[in-house]
Amino acid sequence: MSNKLITFIFILCLLLGLLLVAIVLTDEVANAGGIAHSEIAGMTAGGDGELRLEHIGTYSFLFQSLLLLLIVCLCALGVSPRYRSTAFYGYMALCYGLMLFIWWQMYFGHQRFMQTDEVTYFMGFPTPTAWQMYGTWLGAIPLMLIYTLGFRKFIYTQADDQAFQALLSKRKSTTHR
Amino acid sequence: MEAYRQEIILGAVFLYMAFCIITGIWAMRRTKNSSDFFMAGRSLGPIVVSLALFSSTLSGFGFVGGPGLVYSIGVSSFWMVVISSSGYAIGFFLVAKRIRMIAELRDCISLPDIVAARYNSEVVRFLMAITIVLGVMGYLATQILAMAVVMQAILSGTEMFAEISILSCVVISSAVLIFYCVTGGIIASVYTDVVQGTIMVVAGGLILITATAVFDGGMQEATSIILADDSEAIMPFGAAGIMASLGWFFVFGLGLAGQPHLITKMMMNKEMADNRTIFPMSLFGYVMAALLWISIGIIMRAAVIDGVIDPLQAPDDAASVFLSIFANPLLAGVVFAGLFAAIMSTSDAFLNIGTAAIIHDIPKAINGKSIDNELFWARVVTVLLAAVAASFALYSYYLDATLVALLGAFGWATFAASIFPVVAIGLNWKGATVPGAISAIISALVINFSVQLAGISLPHGISGGLVAFITSLTLFLGVSAVTKKPSIGADIEQALDI
Repeated sequence: MSNKLITFIFILCLLLGLLLVAIVLTDEVANAGGIAHSEIAGMTAGGDGELRLEHIGTYSFLFQSLLLLLIVCLCALGVSPRYRSTAFYGYMALCYGLMLFIWWQMYFGHQRFMQTDEVTYFMGFPTPTAWQMYGTWLGAIPLMLIYTLGFRKFIYTQADDQAFQALLSKRKSTTHR
Repeated sequence: MEAYRQEIILGAVFLYMAFCIITGIWAMRRTKNSSDFFMAGRSLGPIVVSLALFSSTLSGFGFVGGPGLVYSIGVSSFWMVVISSSGYAIGFFLVAKRIRMIAELRDCISLPDIVAARYNSEVVRFLMAITIVLGVMGYLATQILAMAVVMQAILSGTEMFAEISILSCVVISSAVLIFYCVTGGIIASVYTDVVQGTIMVVAGGLILITATAVFDGGMQEATSIILADDSEAIMPFGAAGIMASLGWFFVFGLGLAGQPHLITKMMMNKEMADNRTIFPMSLFGYVMAALLWISIGIIMRAAVIDGVIDPLQAPDDAASVFLSIFANPLLAGVVFAGLFAAIMSTSDAFLNIGTAAIIHDIPKAINGKSIDNELFWARVVTVLLAAVAASFALYSYYLDATLVALLGAFGWATFAASIFPVVAIGLNWKGATVPGAISAIISALVINFSVQLAGISLPHGISGGLVAFITSLTLFLGVSAVTKKPSIGADIEQALDI
């Protein structure tokens, strides 16, 4: 098992924790977690978007960027170290690049909207929300493809299967003895 | 057909209840021992496991709470859904292979069995079992109450049952639930999941079509109405704000691999290689079903803002009002049956893992062996557990909601924070230690309980679950790094190398 990868995951968790502390310590605005809708009971409104991102916008952007990296690293941890080839890490880096690109488009698309009030739509939703809804879903599809198409190469090879069957037989013979 | 709307809905629900009873009787014939009762004999095919996996992810909350959340806080709640692709990826990469291997190697029938084998520790088994029992009580009570409330809403629309009480509805729904859980165990649950999953996939697509037809301009007109009213509600972080959204992304995404009722299903497939098809099929099913959550919520928020319909009495009414106003009666009947299926199968899964913890794991952790005649006691404890949960549900409804709310805190977030590090990382890192596992479980329970008990509200919409999860992850890794590795079985050591 790779100590470097688990150390990196530990550092990521520490950084996420520190960012959370930094966010908690910033000044809170009235509508940070939403405010009651002015006319409709049971509905919450967001109010001034720029105001509530004023102190925590950069921290939040970094938080999500690190969280996406943590997701990719955790997936890599699930692959046996002997299969973590340069090609494998290359695929994982591409996955992270795609997820980061989608997050960038969503976050800065929202920023652009708040500055200009101009809105474009994609498949029924304002474009930044479309990046969130369709993009976030699709962003992890490459991970699924690596798992599914690379199952016999990275996850559970024929050699792994033979090793496991041998282990099972050994275990059965030991318990039956 | 419109004149018979209530009768059609009622017919669909009763048809489903009858199906549950038949499934229970059928599954009883296939349940020969406790391994069948808890693990379906590890003999399920990829389609059954896929449908069971994704439909367990969406309980009654997916049908009722999900659309209600979109109505209430807008796009913020999408983050619980869109994380599914990453969540499933983490679950399959980290858990699916190793949990299946250890289950077969050590003949495990529960998640605490797996962690006891991995850490060679009865203390970790005991803590895991206690966490599961506490979580199960909260989940079950809320599921039974939800089922009774929906049943009352349906029945009170008819002349014959106009005055039916919530007590009667709890009794009827619990009786059906107990019958089919006791007779069929997990086999009944997974095959109900198949029906639920199929209904949800079909209903998700049909509901989307229905929803887009409510406004002439389709979904874009609905989102424009919301944007004009309050732009933040339809922007990526919704009304609840960026940290609430990212917190849900974290807890619902990574936390998926820490949900005991989901990951135990990863122990049930017949062939290891099936995992490569189970992953995409589960994800496809989930995405289709989530269309229902998203489209109903958006349309209902827009329709109320636009004055098409009156404001809802409660956000959770979003789905039922949508179905009664906009959906074809047949579709409404199918979705209501799907709702009951969702609640029933999730309740069965929770009853199953709760019973396993009580009759198998806690005695094993204390006495070193499980009790005799496990199958018989499994059925007895299933009845008792359901009865206690139903009592909690009634107590919460009539007297005081605090207890169930408190147990409800042991929901998704607590399972995520306490189980994910120990299972998902622990099965992939030999350096994980018993003190690391204990500190992760205890910190997760203490933080979640404290936040709930003290009513602590964190700034910027940050949830207690997020704080608990990051703390437990960091403690698990940090404490494991500085403590002595346990001596684990040679077979487990070899399995972790594969």
